Amino acid sequence: MKKEFYELYELKSKAVKLFGISTGTKLDEMFWRVEREGENFVKKPLGGLPFLSVMNITGLPDSGKSVLAEQFAIVQASKDYKVLFVTVESPADFLYTSMKAKADYLGVDFSKVLKNIVVIDASMNDELRENPKALMDTMAYAIREKHTSNVVIDSITGLYEHKEVMARQIVRVFFNFLKKWRQTGIFISQKRSAQIAESAEAAGGLAVAHIVDGTIVLDKKLITTKWESNLYNLPIGSVLRTIRIDGCRLTGHDSRTWVFEITPGGTINIISPLEEYILKKGG
Amino acid sequence: MSEEEKMEVISSPVSTIDVDHLAERVFQECINILGGLRKLTYYRNLTWLPSLAEAAYVVVLKGELFKTNREIAEELGITEQTVKNILQANEKEVERYITGEVEKIDEHKAGGIAKLAYKKVKRERGIFIKEDELDVLGIAWALMVLIRLRGADFPLDKEELKTRLKDIVIKGVPSEQIIEKMRFPVNSPAEVLHQIKELTE
Repeated sequence: MKKEFYELYELKSKAVKLFGISTGTKLDEMFWRVEREGENFVKKPLGGLPFLSVMNITGLPDSGKSVLAEQFAIVQASKDYKVLFVTVESPADFLYTSMKAKADYLGVDFSKVLKNIVVIDASMNDELRENPKALMDTMAYAIREKHTSNVVIDSITGLYEHKEVMARQIVRVFFNFLKKWRQTGIFISQKRSAQIAESAEAAGGLAVAHIVDGTIVLDKKLITTKWESNLYNLPIGSVLRTIRIDGCRLTGHDSRTWVFEITPGGTINIISPLEEYILKKGG
Repeated sequence: MSEEEKMEVISSPVSTIDVDHLAERVFQECINILGGLRKLTYYRNLTWLPSLAEAAYVVVLKGELFKTNREIAEELGITEQTVKNILQANEKEVERYITGEVEKIDEHKAGGIAKLAYKKVKRERGIFIKEDELDVLGIAWALMVLIRLRGADFPLDKEELKTRLKDIVIKGVPSEQIIEKMRFPVNSPAEVLHQIKELTE
């Protein structure tokens, strides 16, 4: 019979090791653990998202959420770690094209990407989108048969698009599912127009953010005034993109807002913290 | 695109949930919880059956397909309030009512019973295998034998077993021929299956 409770010491053998799963971006240095060295405590970068964490990436449309998720998948695949990519928005054919371009730009061997990424295309199949149990059965099959260690769901919002009242329940079952199958996961969640761009809130309210292990918020700001133009030293009409770890319950992290760009090759390049960016640009 | 350049894509579910079958099992379990169909008849409570069927569907549609109350109401042709009452029923209170601990409750009784039944069915995790799948596995005969043995008063002698398994053909052999070679009396359905398996291998 399964134990109903544990003494804390009994969990020592079950404790999850704290190390990073690389995203191929500067985010890898933005999660850390603290270690004692003599009298001092030292921050040591994890080198990626915390192992076995389930992270929520949210932001406005076209803020770079899917770009980040795809880059994560490509980088993991290039290291020979298997990734299950559940595409709910973009049909698999388009995903292929997008990943190929990114892999080429990143200088990654695309044959490794093909070998190590398994895609579930829920975008074209109503049952996979509308029936969470059917999708989880299919994911379980892929995880078991293909031995994946990472899962991306782009987007989790697509699974409760027309029934946001169910968001909490649906996010919870997928979160528990990834924990049970010991996967490091990324959920992409979309924002609704009324939601504050820089908050962790997304479709379904704060349900996703409350349940998952951490949230990363992507934002973009259109430079429209002379004052903003001077502050950021960017021409009016240009876009300033920012990324911020809103929270992570598993490990220490940089909570500053960082500036990033989407490169011509469609990848994420995190430049510097916003405050330094402004100083450097002479704003 | 060559084979080597293809990305592995899974585009349809590997399994589907038979909601109707699951709802029927929950409905059956509701009847069991109430002491069986005969007891319902005895207490003139057969009018409960439509409400139990409705509640069984509600809990399955919510629990398996994560449908909203409105979607369930539309699908079953009932009000959203009824769906809400069923899903909010306190099954512990209903259980106390069924066992006679309390005489009166304000809960949606069918809802509470269906929730208890759904939990039990999920806990037991029965496997539903279709007839053609049984044929593929070569165990369709075992199901047929078990169905015929339902309610049998064990131990059985040769004549009783022959009567029960009359006209069944097992792996191409008439059951009468197999029964002739069996050891009697047989004490349980499992023993019947075991002996038949041995004699037909």
